[in-house]
Amino acid sequence: MRRELVSVLRYSLVLLMILVFASQFSIFLTFAEVSEDKAASDLTNAEEAVASAFEVVLDAEQSGANVSGLLVRLNEAGGFLAQANMSYSAGNFEEVAQLAHLSQSIAEEVKGEAYELKNLAQSENLRLMSFTMMGSIVGVVLVVLGSVWGWRAFRRSYYRRVLKMKPEVVSDEP
Amino acid sequence: MNLEEHSVVFAVGTLALILLAASPTLSLVLSFPSGKAKFTEFWVLGPNHMMEDYPFNVRVNETYRVFVGVGNHMGSSSYYAVYVKFRNQTQPLPDALNSTPSSLPPLYEYQVFVADEATWETVLTFKILGVSRVRNSTLVGDVSINDSVFFLNSTALWDSKYSGFYYQMFLELWVYNTTSQSFQYHNRFVAFWLHMTI
Repeated sequence: MRRELVSVLRYSLVLLMILVFASQFSIFLTFAEVSEDKAASDLTNAEEAVASAFEVVLDAEQSGANVSGLLVRLNEAGGFLAQANMSYSAGNFEEVAQLAHLSQSIAEEVKGEAYELKNLAQSENLRLMSFTMMGSIVGVVLVVLGSVWGWRAFRRSYYRRVLKMKPEVVSDEP
Repeated sequence: MNLEEHSVVFAVGTLALILLAASPTLSLVLSFPSGKAKFTEFWVLGPNHMMEDYPFNVRVNETYRVFVGVGNHMGSSSYYAVYVKFRNQTQPLPDALNSTPSSLPPLYEYQVFVADEATWETVLTFKILGVSRVRNSTLVGDVSINDSVFFLNSTALWDSKYSGFYYQMFLELWVYNTTSQSFQYHNRFVAFWLHMTI
């Protein structure tokens, strides 16, 4: 009876050890998986942030803003993003997270600055457009007024010249 | 010239002056196509920054370098990705006719932003780290590109026509499309052959 009890206890102990070992392995696997998922998610966020920043920079450029400084910063973000992609392929997920965050933070700064530049350029464009339109309107009005005045003066002098004309008799004799 | 003829001349002159006065505003509203072709230059140059002396006979643990460049003539700033790939003679190159990239995964990549009418250029260094020969084939284990090591495990068979084991390093150019919001193969690639010397 005592021997059986000892045997049962021994088996239980072995089973317990196996369970403890298995649970640790399972926890490790779970952590590894989460880390990969997080790296993938960080990478996607960084890619979206960089692409979105580029689109705002492009809008600012089309509005007439000078974006050369922003492109330099975007190149830094792009460099980190490329490194993050390569680290992801190599399975260095810790490094992916760091590089992706760096890239994303630069991209978000650039996006904010690009919005400011775009708004500045648009208001400058609006100001320039109003000045140009005002100038054109004033120019057209002056041309029309000048032309009416000129035409009247010309017509007056034309009639005066015609009225001053005297009929001449021209002999048609050979 | 009678008065009526004078009035026509006057009207035409006035119209011309009105168009001249309105031209600054018209130029803001009307736009004309520039007729300029939109394209991207993509090049690889040898170590002396010339189209010669490209690395060819490569040995293990020796560093080789080339220059890679992109010139943007797309009419606005562009976002490019350059993928560095490595293949043996049987693996696929990009298909220029169908504008499809090679199905091989990139080993190394650059992501660059280039302003319109500007260029970007960088130095690409690479080193073959491990080669083993098994009968009539070679196996390249690892490649170092810009000091980053990449596992390759690529086998090349003996080329009896050109007497050697040949690999090719090639670079594909991709461009970010703002409409589809994704990178698209830009139908440009540059490549150079590597004769593996053991």
